[in-house]
Amino acid sequence: MKSVNTSIRQSFGATLFKLAKTNKNIYVVDADLKSSLYLSEFAKVFPKRFIEVGVAENNAASVAAGLAKTGKTVFLTSFSCFSPAINWAVIRQSICYNNSNVKIIGSHSGLMSGSLGATHQMLEDIALMQVLPNMEVFSPADAIETAKIVSAVSRSPKPSYIRLVRPDTPAFFPPKLSFTIGKSQILTKGNITLLFHGPIGHLAFNLSNTKENSLEIINCSSIKPLDSKTILKSIKKTGKLIVLEDHQKIGGLGQAVSSLLLENKLAPRFIHLAVDNQFGRSSKDYSKLYDHYGIGIKALKLAVKKLN
Amino acid sequence: MALSTSDLKKLSWQLRADLLDMVYQNDGHLGGPLSSLDILNTIYFSDIFKFSKKSPKPTDDNFILSAGHLATALYVVLAYKLYFDKKKLATFSHFKSILEGHVSTTVPGVSYSSGSLGQGLSFAAGLALGNLLDKKNKFTLCLTSDGEHQEGQTWEAAMFASKYKLKNLINIVDHNKYQIDGSLEDIMPLDDLAQKYISFGWTVKEVDGHDYKKLLKIFQISKLSNYPTCIIAHTTFAKGVSFAHFDYKYHDLKNLDPTLYQLAKNEISKHLN
Repeated sequence: MKSVNTSIRQSFGATLFKLAKTNKNIYVVDADLKSSLYLSEFAKVFPKRFIEVGVAENNAASVAAGLAKTGKTVFLTSFSCFSPAINWAVIRQSICYNNSNVKIIGSHSGLMSGSLGATHQMLEDIALMQVLPNMEVFSPADAIETAKIVSAVSRSPKPSYIRLVRPDTPAFFPPKLSFTIGKSQILTKGNITLLFHGPIGHLAFNLSNTKENSLEIINCSSIKPLDSKTILKSIKKTGKLIVLEDHQKIGGLGQAVSSLLLENKLAPRFIHLAVDNQFGRSSKDYSKLYDHYGIGIKALKLAVKKLN
Repeated sequence: MALSTSDLKKLSWQLRADLLDMVYQNDGHLGGPLSSLDILNTIYFSDIFKFSKKSPKPTDDNFILSAGHLATALYVVLAYKLYFDKKKLATFSHFKSILEGHVSTTVPGVSYSSGSLGQGLSFAAGLALGNLLDKKNKFTLCLTSDGEHQEGQTWEAAMFASKYKLKNLINIVDHNKYQIDGSLEDIMPLDDLAQKYISFGWTVKEVDGHDYKKLLKIFQISKLSNYPTCIIAHTTFAKGVSFAHFDYKYHDLKNLDPTLYQLAKNEISKHLN
């Protein structure tokens, strides 16, 4: 599949700016990463609604919750290796337990952070966030879906986490497809179910589909709430499952789906492609990391072969 | 009608008596709740701040209890504010009671659930900023313990409040000098707390946290500040129960000896007549 690369981060910044023009309740609490998250325009045009807390993610999370208490929709912006990583216990109490209208935006997630190395390749964010009561978790596939998810959460009063990535990534989310919280989208029909979240999903479109060897590609951008109905229906049909994610195996989408399967007495042939209990490392080209950690195109091809 | 200094004083002993019963019957924290009680009593029962009777109103000032383990003190105060039935105090920390073991928004009048220390001042600062931006003429009061100043987040909040000139934010530190495992001096000294807040750009006042006349005056002055205000209230740990004064083991109670309970009860009762 040929596609152009676009920036998920830029899409986030532009979408929020657009939403803020009509929704005067939208505020940003930022921890010194506004340029990286394309929020400079927001800060310039809406200075009173852009709160800069500096490199203090714990304070940022509670300030965001306090601000939300006055009736505002607050976007808390940073990299996921800082927020929600440093401030997890603050998110747990100030945001989740107090059910605050705060949307946590964590950029630079996954091995995709490439050259920045292990400290910035956040591979545990979904595990940290999906375990929390009241928290919703989303991982957009590309820039187009990012815009749809940001719009959707801005209309919800619930706390949520949105996982963003650093590099420009292929645009493959069908622009006319809508995003609904708690719904997955079946992007192609086939005889092996492939579940993914985030931009890594574009790899699945690089495989040649034949009648005997076809993927039913399902975008699970809504990780919590998870669309168990769509997922179970597909797996019941195919009996074969690949979960592909740029995240730790433990605590990611694959594990959430695993328990869903067991609870529903399903035991498909299952291959989970995720980072297995390791830290990342630097590489300017993230596809080298994907190959090294067994979540790249080679591993995917092999998984498909094994299941056939 | 606002209560006079002597009325407040009288009420404080009634509150202490109820607090002691609640904690004796159900276990819970004692030293901090008793040291902070006069501060809470002043906030809610003088007319310096707006806290409506019988049920809280959206136009009321905001109060944030950062040190969630002081819940028992806030609960008795809110019960006497008639926000809920006083009889419910006996159900403290029971299954399905509104009175959670650490302060919780399940209780009418509580606007922030806490228990993990160091977060409340940040939350209060966010709330104060929201009110300031909305041009709401409201104060946000935050009660912190001295021990929780060992948490770095408290100082992140102190920096933040100063940057955003939160003149509508008042942080009261219940400086009783003890924490769960000993004195602050032994565990981790705060050194010159006032100087620290001053260096962060706050207005700082120090006061005897049991002297109603002085508390009233300090609160009145605090409303006029152009900067966030920190009131360091020097208090006596477990105030009102002499045998527990200065003994960190009474940070929280478990199975208090009935004779000790009676001793404490008698001491408090003396002030009630």
